[in-house]
Amino acid sequence: MRAASINIDDSVLVRQSQAGDAAAMERLILRYQNRIYNVILKMCGNADDAAELTQEAFVKVIESIDKFKGKSSFYTWLFRIAVNLTLNHCQRQARTATRSLDAEEPDQEGEPSQALRDFLSDDRVADPAVLAQSQELCELAKRSLLELEEPQRAVVVLRDIEGMDYAQIADVLSIELGTVRSRLSRARSNLRDILENMLK
Amino acid sequence: MKPNPSLDELLCSFMDGELSPRQRTEVQRMAAHDPQVARRLRQLQNGHTLLHALPVTPAPRDLLDQIKTSLERHTLLQPPVAAGRRAGVWHLAFRRFVSAAALIALVGVLGVVVYRIVAPVPPTGSAVVADAGLTGRLELRTARLGLAETYVALQIKESGLTSQIEPDGLSNSRVYRVGGTRDDVNRLIASLSKVWQHLEGATLEVEGRAGSTMPVVVEGVLPEQIVGIVAQGSAKASAQMAANYAVTNRVAMGMPGGEVRSLIQNDLSSVTLPRPAETKSGSYTPAPLGRAEVNLTIVVKGVR
Repeated sequence: MRAASINIDDSVLVRQSQAGDAAAMERLILRYQNRIYNVILKMCGNADDAAELTQEAFVKVIESIDKFKGKSSFYTWLFRIAVNLTLNHCQRQARTATRSLDAEEPDQEGEPSQALRDFLSDDRVADPAVLAQSQELCELAKRSLLELEEPQRAVVVLRDIEGMDYAQIADVLSIELGTVRSRLSRARSNLRDILENMLK
Repeated sequence: MKPNPSLDELLCSFMDGELSPRQRTEVQRMAAHDPQVARRLRQLQNGHTLLHALPVTPAPRDLLDQIKTSLERHTLLQPPVAAGRRAGVWHLAFRRFVSAAALIALVGVLGVVVYRIVAPVPPTGSAVVADAGLTGRLELRTARLGLAETYVALQIKESGLTSQIEPDGLSNSRVYRVGGTRDDVNRLIASLSKVWQHLEGATLEVEGRAGSTMPVVVEGVLPEQIVGIVAQGSAKASAQMAANYAVTNRVAMGMPGGEVRSLIQNDLSSVTLPRPAETKSGSYTPAPLGRAEVNLTIVVKGVR
């Protein structure tokens, strides 16, 4: 797990940051900025909003670092702040769900191609390398993510994109482990339905 | 196959590695014997693979600069402390603060005069009341030691603050210990601001951070920042503000966009900070060091 391998260093950097070491805080920011931004972008679907929310999350972290007691890992604490800000933002912006990813990629309109049909045929397990190179499938995946309800979107982004385990997701979203399990299952099922509806 | 929520939960947990070995074996057995279960597992796995294959979009390159700017804005927009004397809006607020300090000093002097007229017995001790005392160390590094040292010594003397001059064992340093109210110390800092243009660097260390014995170190500190820090209502608030400046200064100096910092420095060096005219009484007795609101050690250090 990516997060587990860097937690030891995190705790040292956090202690140094709490003692006023700005260089340590910079290292934490540089370490996590891409992952935080990526998760927020996949949740809100807009590059400008994602940049602003990422910035806001780190400012909040800097201002609150004294209050971080280490009850959870810095990693989940940071993501809790970022995800909560993003969820609040999404709730304020009801239009998020229908927003296109105009700032990131060109819009993919029109008839879905054979790539989606092949993907949904379920004859075989999909090859990640092939999927990653299919720009159309990636676009459809992002669009379908935005059609999920925010709580489901959050859990599926944290699991399938950020790679958190269930306990970390429960910690970030402050929900029970069983809720993570059921919400993730529903989210994946709904995602599948959304993709299938694109073929109709 | 119609989706079955319970089965989906089980299959999702299986592919995410969240099942016990016994449960995993059970799911593997189900998938091997039931084509419908195997198909559903493949569907869910493909969905997961598709999302996992999405390319990672990197954060904007200027994110750190934006964080720095945002942090500065947050610091400046912090609500004022109860005493209403927080100086933080750079030039304008600083000038306003110095003017207010001059007015307070004037009122204070008038108060002393009136008190002496009406009071039958002169006061026996100092009026400085220590709150959560702020302790700090300001190091000024300069290539023009003689000039800076003379100027600093003169300003401290004129400020009327309690001071001690201590040799530190190094021939190229001079150590002054001053103590007084927050207003007094800020007036001294205002008067010292002219020396900044002759400095190679300035560092402020502030004690009083909650839960830490280590001081907050603000590299490249500016006089306005010191005034803002000292003007806070408590040592804790001062330490918090110092921590904010430590971050912004560090980011400004070390990251792309550091030239902004030098522009700020240059701009400040050209500002003439007004000093209030003080009227001192000959029998004025400053508070002893250690009991003052602020105890500041000023080190003037020669560098090549």
